[in-house]
Amino acid sequence: MPAHQPDDPFEDRLSAALHRTGGAFDSPRTELTAAGARRGRRMQVQRRAAIVGSVAALALVGVGGSLLLPGGTPDASPPSLAGNGSKAATTSYSGDDVVRALVKLLPKGAFTETESRGTDEELPPLAVGVFDDGKGPASLSLGLDRIPADAGKIDPSAQVMPCPEDGQGDLDSCESGLLPDGSAVTVYQGYEYSDRREDTKSWGADLVTPAGQHVSLIEWNAPAEKGEPVSRPEPPLTTAQLKKVAADGVWRRIIDAIPEEERPTASAGGHGGGALMPDYVVMRKLALLLPKGLDRDAGVSQDGYGSFVVDDGKGKGLVQVNVQPGMSADAGQLFGSGAETLPDGTRVATRQEPGEKGGAGVVMWTVDTLRKDGLRVVVSAFNTGDQTKAATRAKPALTMAQLRDIALSPRWTSTED
Amino acid sequence: MRQARADEYAEFAAARAGHLYRSACLLTAGDTHLAEDLVQETLGRVYVRWARVSRADNPAAYAQTVLTRTFLAHRRRRSSGERAVEAFPDVPDGSGTDTPLRLTLLQALARLPAKDRAVVVLRYWEDRSIEETAGAVNASSAAVRTRCSRALGRLRELLGEDIGEYARP
Repeated sequence: MPAHQPDDPFEDRLSAALHRTGGAFDSPRTELTAAGARRGRRMQVQRRAAIVGSVAALALVGVGGSLLLPGGTPDASPPSLAGNGSKAATTSYSGDDVVRALVKLLPKGAFTETESRGTDEELPPLAVGVFDDGKGPASLSLGLDRIPADAGKIDPSAQVMPCPEDGQGDLDSCESGLLPDGSAVTVYQGYEYSDRREDTKSWGADLVTPAGQHVSLIEWNAPAEKGEPVSRPEPPLTTAQLKKVAADGVWRRIIDAIPEEERPTASAGGHGGGALMPDYVVMRKLALLLPKGLDRDAGVSQDGYGSFVVDDGKGKGLVQVNVQPGMSADAGQLFGSGAETLPDGTRVATRQEPGEKGGAGVVMWTVDTLRKDGLRVVVSAFNTGDQTKAATRAKPALTMAQLRDIALSPRWTSTED
Repeated sequence: MRQARADEYAEFAAARAGHLYRSACLLTAGDTHLAEDLVQETLGRVYVRWARVSRADNPAAYAQTVLTRTFLAHRRRRSSGERAVEAFPDVPDGSGTDTPLRLTLLQALARLPAKDRAVVVLRYWEDRSIEETAGAVNASSAAVRTRCSRALGRLRELLGEDIGEYARP
């Protein structure tokens, strides 16, 4: 029974024609199902890798939106976790230790602009920086974490990043195999953007040991993974070198030093961890928070970011939100002396500035908020539906007060809509 | 993913893959390669969120919504693809008898903007209400109504009022 009530015979005919046409497509169902599950597993691994490397990921939040943060300050000491009582590990490694260990394994060259985390921090150990072997600066990122044993046993082959089902998919190469010690390792040569809208190459090695130690090493042929032009034809390390660095025993020692109870998980509900809010949740919450009576059309979204093009009848305007967890460490940098602090400790900064993407006459109004638990919600509105195009109206469709209400809404911290 | 849950997912995917694929073929106006890719991506996303999806009222409708959004996101990433659509040969007026309906209809769908096409597929293939369609494409009901009537007008123009005799059951 159709849910719509066609009052037009054309609608009935169209429906019949669609059913005849659509019904005639014969699907390779079994292959689709298997391929879908494989892709899901890969996404899970990549998501985990993204969380491991979340300093880099958070620094460039919002591919479709604006570049919000030039860099993280991950070296800040972890808040309040120190008093958490028993620590399983007796040794600990600082962020600098991780960087030093990495530099020792890299070919000759300079490793600069480093950011790192050690084993005693909220998020897993990490070293990112710019490596230059003399042939051009290249961003390089190493993430270390431990894979929780789901049923008590780790199957490295099932946990390592799988190669695409048809061999290499949108990658230039991908190879997955086992090392003599039982670790599974995947080395791949791909692109930062799978549709290759930019030439940035992204190569890496992903390794999982039978003990659940997970090493993810990624390199690019540009000084940043996104937003910088390529600096060399290829990333500096060959796949053999990537594999060798990832397989080095030093990483297993460092991972073993991560205190068991402080390991964040992707599914943790808190905002201090690294998991980004799924795109569809961001969009649903934002949709519910937009003022009533606006015509709205979904724009770009991705985990942690959502946007709508709204129209109040006076022209289109883009509204976007970035939702970033674990940003306490960046409070000082983001919220200067002009920022307001609410009674509950939430910090609020407002800005009205020219647009960033070159559209003529475009203005960007922003309300930036940071809750005490580290959840940052940034809402911006533009006086155009497309930042790269000219302004279509004098002011954004939402007032600063409306943006503030959206940013401070308890919806962002609610597990419900 | 634990075994019981993995089995449950596999059962769901096997049951829905065919329908999702046919929907994807309509969304992509007959691009079966892209359709396969979209379905794989959709099933992959459902896999990642299965713990939550399996508890939803209607996992099948959820998967359809994910497919629609995956398609729209794909189109946004490749906005230059809109130009390729313009390169389609002129669509027959629908009165000709030598053009199979399937081709005519797919070519006509290809002439619609991606989001209008998504609205048409949700409304007339999925039989979703205006409100449900609005939810799936993240738009207001008013925006969906506008898109829908614009798309119907365009399809009427391209296919003819009768949509050819092939549409008759």
